[in-house]
Amino acid sequence: MTARRKLWLVGLSHHSAPVDLRERLALAGGTAGDVARKLLERIPGIQECALLSTCNRVEMLAYGDPEGVDPSAVAGTIADDRGLGHEDLRAHLYLHEDRAAVRHLFRVASSLDSMVVGEPQILGQVKEFYEAAVEAGTAGTILHRVFHKSFFVAKRVRNETGIGAKNVSVSSVAVELAMQIFESLEDKTALVIGAGKMAEITARHFRDRGIGSLMFANRTFDRAVELAREFHAAPVPFEELVRYLPLADVVIGSTAATDFLLSENQVRDALHERGYRPTFLIDLGVPRNFDPRINDLQNVYLYDIDDLEGVIGENRGEREREAQRAEEIVQSEVESFWRWFENLDTVPTIVELRGRAERICRRELERTLGSLRHLGEVERKSIEAMAEAIMNKLLHEPISRLKRVKSPEAGDLLAARRLFGLDDDDD
Amino acid sequence: MELLLPRIALLLYLAAAAGFIGYLITAEERWRLRAPLLLAAAAAVHGFAIAGRSFQLGHIAVASFDEALSFLAFSLAILYLLLDRRHVLAVLGAVIAPLASLLMAVAVLISSGATELPPVLRSAWLPVHVTLAFLGNAVFALTFATSLIYVLEDNRLKAKRPARRLLQPSLERLDALNHRLLSWGFLLLTLGIVTGAIWAHFAWGRFWSWEAREMWSLITWILYAVLLHGRSIGWRGRRAATLTIVSFAVLFVSFVGVNVFSSGRHGGTFGS
Repeated sequence: MTARRKLWLVGLSHHSAPVDLRERLALAGGTAGDVARKLLERIPGIQECALLSTCNRVEMLAYGDPEGVDPSAVAGTIADDRGLGHEDLRAHLYLHEDRAAVRHLFRVASSLDSMVVGEPQILGQVKEFYEAAVEAGTAGTILHRVFHKSFFVAKRVRNETGIGAKNVSVSSVAVELAMQIFESLEDKTALVIGAGKMAEITARHFRDRGIGSLMFANRTFDRAVELAREFHAAPVPFEELVRYLPLADVVIGSTAATDFLLSENQVRDALHERGYRPTFLIDLGVPRNFDPRINDLQNVYLYDIDDLEGVIGENRGEREREAQRAEEIVQSEVESFWRWFENLDTVPTIVELRGRAERICRRELERTLGSLRHLGEVERKSIEAMAEAIMNKLLHEPISRLKRVKSPEAGDLLAARRLFGLDDDDD
Repeated sequence: MELLLPRIALLLYLAAAAGFIGYLITAEERWRLRAPLLLAAAAAVHGFAIAGRSFQLGHIAVASFDEALSFLAFSLAILYLLLDRRHVLAVLGAVIAPLASLLMAVAVLISSGATELPPVLRSAWLPVHVTLAFLGNAVFALTFATSLIYVLEDNRLKAKRPARRLLQPSLERLDALNHRLLSWGFLLLTLGIVTGAIWAHFAWGRFWSWEAREMWSLITWILYAVLLHGRSIGWRGRRAATLTIVSFAVLFVSFVGVNVFSSGRHGGTFGS
């Protein structure tokens, strides 16, 4: 039993490696199949393998007997001639075996290992790479099973937990809040003050949710013009900010200014001019861009960065509880998969095979003898004996072959399970 | 037997109220979808009860105070169900269903049996006037519900404790709904007063007799007129919501007060 075959997962991800390394190791689209074939050739003992490569991870899942194989040799093969030495990679690689490998795959497919937990793209990527392995012919019975199970787990996690239902970035929380104030953003205008990264990201979120129009103001007018062009929006001269304020339903402040850009009085005047229609101000500046007293005005809602973080914190707590439930689902599915995997052992297979044959034999005997009631005891006994003899003769060869198998040998064992349909009622 | 249907209706109203409040607290979809069904069941049973009693009396059953309360609860439920056929405003149900339950509970408690209507009041104007007046009140109760939810949500947003899930209609939607309902309520109230005056003219030869109900109707009419005018000049959002709540409070107190204390023909037994 020393050469027991294993499930084996080698990889690196955003948890273990910096982005520049991940970028250099990432597989170009369409090459996954070729690389998987190369791995089968070059890494001794591997019988099946599949790759997964996204911007956050590069991983290989394999089945076989990898005794004595160095994980960095796998990474080296994947990196191939891209100038990455084994030593560069070694420190960033992780290796999971058996249950841990299965659990890792399930967690990845369910987006529990993602940078943004709950993001929905990852499942599609896992499917895509599994299909590449199927096409390349590097995935076999074991990988088919484990990948299909991972899709099933991901679906359960999505349907049974609230993972993925909540936003966690500051700008997406801001948009979510806007949706509690405004019924629709289509007829609304947002004024973005500042031209930094945060301003741009937040503007993008609002545009993606269908904001009617955008205005950009910046101390350096050229930057405002630049951003405005990118968003097909209007640049606004910084000095005349207050004149445009009444037009804005959403005001986003994201500058490095040390004084307040907007005072309570300025907003009050603007509010009066816009007929007291609700105004949502988002202050992303540190120090703050808007006077906090603005929040006291009626129909005005001012959220600064701490307020937004506070909302996120609440979401995050909820998310952690959901993540806990998701982990429980993953764990129970790992155990279920593992029971199947261990059943690949010969003895249980022989027992199952014999049990199945006996059940069939008994059922058929009952049916036949039930319609032959005129037969005497002797005739009945000899029919039973004949049925048993046929069964034993038929099973003799497969069972003695299975008994000769020294370890969970994929070949004969899996063939037997498949040919006799021993796994059909599972799942 | 006569009280059986109203009691069943009351139980269903209470169940609906529990459902709507359950939705408000848990934000669970199944409550949002089931609570309106309970309310619809309550209204159906209630409708049978009112129809049965009206048939028995030979005129629409709104003469006594308990009948008036019961009819108001019924109007409220029907109106809400008509307004929210797609169950998007279920949070309003958390105000409407308890209110209907309360009205119905009092109606069942003080139920006094059939009241004879003086012959002078038997006229086709009775159902017209009463239906308009009560629909008007029910619409104002809905404006109260939208405004109450508005103020609660506004408080939460201001305090930086927004709803954890998007369960409420947006503030903008509540405000727009409030405006529309106010216009409808005002129209119904006006028509109710006009038809009442015409009916009074036929019954007593006078359009207006300055009795308590008429006075209070006039006061609420003026309040709502001011509110609607205010809305047209930019009172919106929180201020409009607060004033709507105050106006409804006046309406409610006068409705109960007139029925309990007044001896006029709108009072307890219509006797004068």
